[in-house]
Amino acid sequence: MSIHVQHLQKNFQVHVRNAGWIDALRSLFHREYRTVEAVKDISFQIESGEIVGFLGPNGAGKTTTIKMLAGLLYPTAGQILVEGFVPFEQKVEFKKMMSLVMGQKSQLIWDIPPMETFLVNKAVYEIEERAFQRTLEELVELLELQPLLGKPTRSLSLGQRMKCELAATLLHQPKVLFLDEPTIGLDVHTQEKVRQFIAKYNREHNTTILLTSHYMGDVTALCQRVMIINHGQLLYDGDLQILSEKLTPYKLIEVRLPEVPSVSWEKYGELVGVDEGKVSLRVARERVTDVSARLLHDFSVADLNIQDPPMEEVITLAFQEEVHAS
Amino acid sequence: MRRNLRIFREFFRTCLVEELEYRSEFLGNLLSSLFGIAIAILTIQIFFFQTDQLGGWPYADVLVLLGIFNTLQGLIDFALKPNMSRLLQNIRKGTLDYVLTKPVDSMFFVSFRHLVFWRLVDVLLGLGLVAYGLWVKRYVPTLSDLLIFLVTLFASLVLIYALWMLLMTTAFWVIKIDDLSFVFNSFFETTRFPIGTYRGWLRIVLTYVLPAALITSTPASALLGNWSVGATLITVVVAGIFLWLSRLFWRYALRSYTSASS
Repeated sequence: MSIHVQHLQKNFQVHVRNAGWIDALRSLFHREYRTVEAVKDISFQIESGEIVGFLGPNGAGKTTTIKMLAGLLYPTAGQILVEGFVPFEQKVEFKKMMSLVMGQKSQLIWDIPPMETFLVNKAVYEIEERAFQRTLEELVELLELQPLLGKPTRSLSLGQRMKCELAATLLHQPKVLFLDEPTIGLDVHTQEKVRQFIAKYNREHNTTILLTSHYMGDVTALCQRVMIINHGQLLYDGDLQILSEKLTPYKLIEVRLPEVPSVSWEKYGELVGVDEGKVSLRVARERVTDVSARLLHDFSVADLNIQDPPMEEVITLAFQEEVHAS
Repeated sequence: MRRNLRIFREFFRTCLVEELEYRSEFLGNLLSSLFGIAIAILTIQIFFFQTDQLGGWPYADVLVLLGIFNTLQGLIDFALKPNMSRLLQNIRKGTLDYVLTKPVDSMFFVSFRHLVFWRLVDVLLGLGLVAYGLWVKRYVPTLSDLLIFLVTLFASLVLIYALWMLLMTTAFWVIKIDDLSFVFNSFFETTRFPIGTYRGWLRIVLTYVLPAALITSTPASALLGNWSVGATLITVVVAGIFLWLSRLFWRYALRSYTSASS
């Protein structure tokens, strides 16, 4: 067991005041506080080597949870064990076996090449010279860093910087990796590269990874299992595929025909759209095989394509419907 | 400790690389340091046109005191000051998170990560002034003078560091004050003169509440042969207590740290 969380809870005291200078003045002497329950009651477990996607709209409590797991925030209530450590005790051994990457915050030293940050981390994590060289070599190759090592960080592009950021956090070969929106702001190509890297790294090192992202692509490409959180509560924890089947009990069938006959498509399924030579139908999951066979029988089909509904749609539904963990 | 020393060496190297990236105007800074110390000596001399004692200290002794003041000031500007603005920034932007996930003492990391090397010139100038003061007095410190001097100077450094951290740690709550170092400087400036110069409640505060009196006077007295085992012990103990307090305060602050959300 890599990560073990039980009845985790975090409240923040937030100072409230209305706009305007009179209220600003009043708040100087008398402050009103409101308690915000960022995380209400969350329990889950993650096995070693798993990649789990952590999804939720802004302000759902994702980052708060990750920060508690990384030992940055002190939980209001509940227990956390990460590889047997209580994170907030902030033991050196704990810090040496985990890493945190935040897509919106950088740890690289701005004015000098990324290699210098790597060397600082080498000293801080007490990495042996041999191990350091070996890991660095591997990361440089996987992330294609060679041309970037000597350039000042400030002159790197966002994507290049993120790659160096990943390298800097993996030099000490952590067992647990927290990735908070690692692909934010990157172009599609670089996103893809970063994903491939994370997948490969996980395979080769059996690193436990907890990933949050706003890009569904990250999650579908990397995670079998997702946890969905909203308003500080876990709405779903389980297989991504099952979630999809549960929330969207249909598939999309796309049929290509030499020419589209004018028949009533409703007997096959719900008509989504008719294009030039192409018909899209929404069909209940249990009828998919049946309908496909009939379509192939009734028409001279050039091509038939069965698709799952887009994951964005599934997640949007998940946020709305508040399905509970199965 | 040994580990922190190794890490400090790495900070040292990195900062040197950083500073070479932006070659600071070494000559200009040297001139400004020289000018600063000249003005300080001149001020003292003006005092001594009127009197032959300042707070019970003769001219040469005050020079030694001023030299020590300058040395300490140089060390503050070398290691402590450059980190202050970064700590504020780290807290405000939430990048302190990275510091806290590192397997290194966070207080150590935030206080010594950034160094400004040319400020070491002030340390050299200060030590030069100390030597000059001794020469004016025609006093050659004995070995035990020197030993006690080193012990008390180290205690002073620890004390300064602790007071500095106590002040900087308030940044967790008053994250909008941009120049906390100004507050510290106003306090530190009081150690430029012997404690006897001050009168009334100010003297009491500077002796017992914020032990400014110890910072420069004790090492200066030691070097001039006026030390006692009792006073030395007190300095060391006070420094230890303040360091302990500053650590407690830092830990307390971390507990209430709610990093800027992303």
